[in-house]
Amino acid sequence: MGSENGVADGGHGHAAPCRFTFDGETFEARPGQSIAGALHAGGQYVLSRSFKYHRPRGLFCVSGRCPNCLCTVNGEPNVRICTRAAEPGQDVRSQNAWPSLDVDALNVFDKLHRMMPVGFYYKRMYKPRKLWPLYEKVIRNIAGLGKVDFDHGGEGTYDKLNLFVDVAVVGGGVAGLQSALAAAEEQLDVLLVDDQPALGGHLRHDPDLLPADFSELLRRVVAHPRIQIVMSATAFGLYEGNYLGIQQGKRLIRARAHQVILATGGWERPLVFENNDLPGVLLASGAQRLLHLDGCRFEGRAVVVTNNAQGYRIAAQLERAGTKVAAIVELNELAAGDPGKIPVHAGKTILTARGGRHVRAAVVGNVNGGGKSDTIRCRWIIQALGFTPATSLLYQSGSKLRHDAERDHPAVTQFAKGVHACGAVLGTHDVVAAGAEGKHVGLTAALAVRGEADTALRARRDAAAAELARLVETKSQPGVVGHYVSGSTAKKKFVCLCEDVTEKDIYDAIDEGYANVETLKRYSTISMGPCQGKMCQAAAIGLCAARNGKSIEETGTTTSRPPEQPLPLGVLAGRGLHFSLVRRTAVHHWHEQQGAKFLDAGTWKRPESYGDPASEYEAVRHRVGLIDVSTLGKIELRGRDVGKFLEFIYPNRFEKLKPGRVRYGVICDDAGIVLDDGIIARLEPERFFLTTTTGNADAIDSWFRSWLVVKPEWDVRMTNMSTCYAGMNIAGPRSRDVLSKICDANISAHMLPYGGVAEFDVAGVRAVVLRIGFVGELGFEIHVPTQFGQHVWDALLAAGKEFDIEPFGVEAQRRLRLEKKHFLPGVDTDALSNPIEADVPWIVKLDKPDFIGKWSLTRAANRPARNRLVGFRLDGTTVPDEASLVISDGRLGGRVTSARYSPVTGGVIGLAWVPAEQSANGDRIEIQMNGRRMTAVVQHAPFYDPEEARLNG
Amino acid sequence: MSFQIDCPNCGTRGVWEFHYGGAAGKSRPPLSADAAEWTDYIYNKENLRGVQTEWWTHRSACKLWFLVERNTATNEVLSSRRYSVPPRQEEPAG
Repeated sequence: MGSENGVADGGHGHAAPCRFTFDGETFEARPGQSIAGALHAGGQYVLSRSFKYHRPRGLFCVSGRCPNCLCTVNGEPNVRICTRAAEPGQDVRSQNAWPSLDVDALNVFDKLHRMMPVGFYYKRMYKPRKLWPLYEKVIRNIAGLGKVDFDHGGEGTYDKLNLFVDVAVVGGGVAGLQSALAAAEEQLDVLLVDDQPALGGHLRHDPDLLPADFSELLRRVVAHPRIQIVMSATAFGLYEGNYLGIQQGKRLIRARAHQVILATGGWERPLVFENNDLPGVLLASGAQRLLHLDGCRFEGRAVVVTNNAQGYRIAAQLERAGTKVAAIVELNELAAGDPGKIPVHAGKTILTARGGRHVRAAVVGNVNGGGKSDTIRCRWIIQALGFTPATSLLYQSGSKLRHDAERDHPAVTQFAKGVHACGAVLGTHDVVAAGAEGKHVGLTAALAVRGEADTALRARRDAAAAELARLVETKSQPGVVGHYVSGSTAKKKFVCLCEDVTEKDIYDAIDEGYANVETLKRYSTISMGPCQGKMCQAAAIGLCAARNGKSIEETGTTTSRPPEQPLPLGVLAGRGLHFSLVRRTAVHHWHEQQGAKFLDAGTWKRPESYGDPASEYEAVRHRVGLIDVSTLGKIELRGRDVGKFLEFIYPNRFEKLKPGRVRYGVICDDAGIVLDDGIIARLEPERFFLTTTTGNADAIDSWFRSWLVVKPEWDVRMTNMSTCYAGMNIAGPRSRDVLSKICDANISAHMLPYGGVAEFDVAGVRAVVLRIGFVGELGFEIHVPTQFGQHVWDALLAAGKEFDIEPFGVEAQRRLRLEKKHFLPGVDTDALSNPIEADVPWIVKLDKPDFIGKWSLTRAANRPARNRLVGFRLDGTTVPDEASLVISDGRLGGRVTSARYSPVTGGVIGLAWVPAEQSANGDRIEIQMNGRRMTAVVQHAPFYDPEEARLNG
Repeated sequence: MSFQIDCPNCGTRGVWEFHYGGAAGKSRPPLSADAAEWTDYIYNKENLRGVQTEWWTHRSACKLWFLVERNTATNEVLSSRRYSVPPRQEEPAG
């Protein structure tokens, strides 16, 4: 094979021999060897201890699927070392063994298996209840695979790659290669994904099958400029809209494909017999990988068990590599291949593997039970029983499959839109037929992209279809019969290597009532381990069907969900998955320099305080303060019908609002629920400017547009100015003195009274200035183009210096507004709050024509209120937490929504929802916090400046 | 959810650029409508399994509100189009 781009070479990375350590012992690896290959060559056959019974385990699938070779490599847990290249100085450690792999104390569980039946943790450990914390601690210590190294594990950068292609092909075997090439030659962009380090699928390690023109095919695929090849990458999920999730090391690749071709091949099917988990028992393809990719040998005698021609090929290959194959155990009555001089035991199976930490002998008996058995001395038991199709992604795609009993193979009855498959996943094992199928599917996918109108392409596709049909008639299927579980009644017949689930466990679970495959899976945990069912699902379904006396078709299969293969969480959690937005205001860096403590407000960062909110509060009440309000939503509306539109959106009136005036408004939905609030300013007869709360800026923008789209006859044009303007609010008794120093307008109480709006220059910058007072003092809200935000901010601070101006943050603002009893939508209101009960009934003008919420608010106004949002005062200095309960007649009556210490009242104040019958001014309410009851007094008037003298000043 | 929606302004984009606005079809009743009609409009959501016409907005881009025909069981998007004001229904004669 060629080695272009490093993707078509047989084997792994490094070019020179290297040394690494396994549990502290040094091993040598040849160039291109995997870690597992080097360990096998060095005679290290035990690689791990099993999950539950801590039995010794060694190489089994050698293809990155089974759990047996999971090791910690340089601190990274759960690495499959059979597909990880050996590198100089690697520190490889075994897992799940203590104190060592050789002497694992917890191997005692293997002797105690009677105490640990299926689901034992449900049966044994729930009583007595008070002991559960102890059980949990012990179980957590014992259970799990691998340990996260918090010092070194997970180091490095996890990144994301987004790809958009015409055709994505999953699987680089001959079918996948042909389909990729066929699509690429139609000038489509193709992505080819394979989970192995080199292309070729099983042809990489089964040289006897290699067609003469294979290296040419490989060369053309690798050289093709339209084919992007991603190796050592697992396509773990196929989501709606042909969206593929692919993991490649620490990278997540998200590929959107017009068409997806699944050439995922199959997983070799294990035989279940007693002690089938002993080191020395391998799948044939695993043995072939060690022989042909890692240059390993199998010392001593071997027994091959098979039901198809592959078994005879591997037997011959083993002999050529110096292994003495003592017998071929053939499940069929007739040999499925040419055994040469090797004795064939036809109609037989393996009943038992003998040995302690490695196979010493195979016990061979009749497939159908009975008769006498033979013991054959051997060190290796190699299984070649055909393949389970790798259908996970097919199922995930939404394609429909059923079990074809005649072929003992799933058959696709309906492909999901834009999804195709070819090769062994469909049961096409013959190399030539799989290639032809790949080409046909590649052209079919190309036609789906190009459109049926491309008659030349359609003709080429039809020709490929005819060629495929010709081959299908002659192609051979490997002889496949059942008998995947040998007839012995022994206990230690492992169906699931990941979770140590035996045949007996499955029968017990079914007998206990978990007879459905889905409940069987959850109860026994079969197929829920690292292999995700690749090694065990077919056998489990077969056993479930047999025990229930049903067919495979009737038994069904468990649902395939992503990820198809376990993923490091970092791959999913790494940066930038959802492109979450962080917004910073024009003055953000100044805030930072002042040591501001920030809080998240929607997507924005806002200064909570600059260190001393009490001092910031005092500055506003007695001198002057400046707060950055750039995060408010800002919308400009122009047009003849804006007044009419606002009358429809808000429950109060806007048509007659005069230019130069500002009005407060609350937005409701048709259920009368408060969505948001803000101020609306009429700048010109047909030009309005309004603000929304920070968190609702996008939602209100969307809300307005949703109504405008169904009212196209209204002349309303809307522009979202939220990030175009920097906003700042200067507030306090000296605020006019400060602003008048740097503006070119007369802003006296007469010229710009409370509730007024004007446009004039501030520090040389055109500004919209609103005379409003959220914090209850004389104040001006100034909006200037964002790029001048810092300039105007600096100018205000400089002008305010002589008045001892202070910047203030959200915390001081919340104290100030609470003293004015201004509620915050979403903080003091929730999804059940209407403005009548939220104590702003004056804002609802029911005599207006239709507006959003009118029907519901009319009803609310005409029925007794259930509860009300009221202010309360509390003696002392204990501030109740938000959401503290209001207790009424010993029952839950409401809750506190905001509370702070209030310097002007010298006590604690707050807002709370209380039952209507306790909402009169002066009523007493009970607030419960930390088990303590406190009595508070309801107050209707604002806590500060109820006459609004300061506001109007 | 990873399906794609065809925005009438911007073309085909991933669903995460859009925001769902509920099933379309129920129009807002006049104020004169009775309580049954209003409560049905406000509170009763059909939560249909199958193909429904629904509102979406392209919130990460052009912000257009438009109509999408989607199979809620499979998330297959069958069509998308701009809203157009339905022709006024003629009063039944007589």
